[in-house]
Amino acid sequence: MTQLWWAQIKSVVRLELKKTLFARRGLWIYILALLPLLLFTAHTVMVSRERGRSVHIARQGGKTLTYQDLLAVRSGMTGPEVVALLGRPPIRFHWNEQTQLQSGGFTIVPHEDYHYSDGANDLFVDVADGKVVGVHIHEAYNLAEDSIVFAGVFQFFYLRLAIFFGCLGIFMNLFRGEILDKSLHFYFLSPIRREVLMVGKFLAGLLATCIIFVTSELLQIIVFTWQFSPNVRDLYLYHNHGLAQAAAYLGVTALACLGYGAFFLAAGMLFRNPILPAAAILVWEAVNPFLPALLKKFSVIYYLKSLCPVDIPSPPGMPALMSLLVSNPDPVSTPIAILGIVIVALLVLYASSFQVRRMEINYTTE
Amino acid sequence: MTGVTANDRIVFDDVSKFYGEILGVNRVNLSIPPGVTSLVGPNGSGKTTLMNLMTGLVRPTRGRIRILDCAPDEPEKLFKILGYSTQFDSFPKGLTGFQFVSSYLRLAGFDSQTASQMAWRAIERVNLTEAATRNVAGYSKGMRQRIRLAQALCHNPQVLVLDEPLNGLDPLARAEMIALFRAVATDGCYVIISSHILHEVDAISDQVILLSNGYVVAEGEIHSVRDEIREHPAQVLIRCDRPRELAARIMQSKHTIEVCIHDDERGLLIKTRDADQFYLMLNHIAVNGIEIESVAPADDDVNSVYEYLIGNESGEVAR
Repeated sequence: MTQLWWAQIKSVVRLELKKTLFARRGLWIYILALLPLLLFTAHTVMVSRERGRSVHIARQGGKTLTYQDLLAVRSGMTGPEVVALLGRPPIRFHWNEQTQLQSGGFTIVPHEDYHYSDGANDLFVDVADGKVVGVHIHEAYNLAEDSIVFAGVFQFFYLRLAIFFGCLGIFMNLFRGEILDKSLHFYFLSPIRREVLMVGKFLAGLLATCIIFVTSELLQIIVFTWQFSPNVRDLYLYHNHGLAQAAAYLGVTALACLGYGAFFLAAGMLFRNPILPAAAILVWEAVNPFLPALLKKFSVIYYLKSLCPVDIPSPPGMPALMSLLVSNPDPVSTPIAILGIVIVALLVLYASSFQVRRMEINYTTE
Repeated sequence: MTGVTANDRIVFDDVSKFYGEILGVNRVNLSIPPGVTSLVGPNGSGKTTLMNLMTGLVRPTRGRIRILDCAPDEPEKLFKILGYSTQFDSFPKGLTGFQFVSSYLRLAGFDSQTASQMAWRAIERVNLTEAATRNVAGYSKGMRQRIRLAQALCHNPQVLVLDEPLNGLDPLARAEMIALFRAVATDGCYVIISSHILHEVDAISDQVILLSNGYVVAEGEIHSVRDEIREHPAQVLIRCDRPRELAARIMQSKHTIEVCIHDDERGLLIKTRDADQFYLMLNHIAVNGIEIESVAPADDDVNSVYEYLIGNESGEVAR
């Protein structure tokens, strides 16, 4: 019997996957999935152009500089001392500042801005009246900052919006879409248990969402690390938990598809209008941090947040309630989080199996 | 039907179906034997509801249905023995005719090669081989009807449920399909057909179920059903050499209501309250001199039965 069920599930998956991946009405899901990829691609292109400019500036300079050379410049040094240390600045600006004296008159302070580069990092020096008054180093790479930006895009756009609505579009349509197309009877007239059909459709949806969203996430990670030079990339991936973080992001994406998929499959069988359940689930997930401990556990985002590899720090001055949304004050361990999502998804699917047995074909009332 | 038990029948036991407050069918009791059974009734009489109940697409509000001892809510068992060609004119997107049939067989658990062979066989039976590799979305109404029939037939089911199976078919295809249904029924299968075309129902059916407003008005073999309708006198058509003499003798019977002599003076139409007594009397008359060429019941068909039982509601039924 199990062998027959597997054969039937494979048949359902084959039929559904083709429909789901190539449906014209699902185009917006691809756009949602690819938006962060476009963002990171644009960022990487910008970084590459900046790096090209830095290399050009470094070549124009009188000396070949290292990052240590750039760090040697301090406030209070004189302009000639800086030039003696780093050589003739490749880019130099002159400008005058008019300042008011205590006596009421005005004086003119001459400024010079030097722009040096070691080919990757840029140094901006502000010399006023012959003395260094400002030093700013723009580092080519700031792994900690970049990781947080990536985590922010992942948590606040990709996870909560792109995957959420993508799963809504795909899983809701598995049954509801066929009712609207008046083609569900094709399955209901086949010698296949309704529960087996439901599992087949769910797996097809899961596979489709994983193909779309995990692939997009993988490409985002590749594009994100592409901005680094090979040395920095190695450092990030192999010595700075980069690989582990990448694996975690891919895993969280797949688990999000599993969790949200189960909810939306059930909603597609229970509700005619997808807007109401989608709004209810969205609100439920959004207010999760404010829920009592027991209720928190019956959501997907609660576990997903615990699995996200990079914590996003709350900006200083953010209200406590708002920072609850950003941070995760009571994370659960990785095994519990994974198990939690799987159990929640299985519970929802189990409840859905009763509904699928009761479903009737009555297209005229839909 | 000797040897046919309740387990070998399609049984409706006090079945009712309500869609909210709207009646689908009410208090239906049926026991359908093998052969071709036609569901006849005007639109909204409950024919499709009865078929959907039989196939588990809708569940009864009350009562119990068994299809050869199978429950309709067990699709994994039911659709191994049953094929249903619905009236729903939509198909899964992007499939060719062949894929539509073979996918159904793959869902049933057949391996790819077997499914392919069975699908082609079914497609050949409905004469759609040439168009089988084209997308169903581009099919004409008749082709869509035929591919649905192929899907219903492809796994050689014992029970074939066909909702308006002749709709959209040209006269030649209709004749072919009627022959196909008869052949399937001759093999001992149960063929349940709903149709608006009464003369086709007459040609196909072994028994009929007449429905009106969700109720079963009559069921059984056409002749038995006709015999049950006492309030309408039986009509008999006779061709003979001396119709006026025959008319005079027939009018002596107290059961005879009306006699009409044909314009060509070679026949007459008789209306009688008691057909059995009439035929006995006719035998006696024939022995005593009048040469009778033919005797045939004039209202012993679905058309007349339908007219008598359902009558004015049947405006949309084609005769």
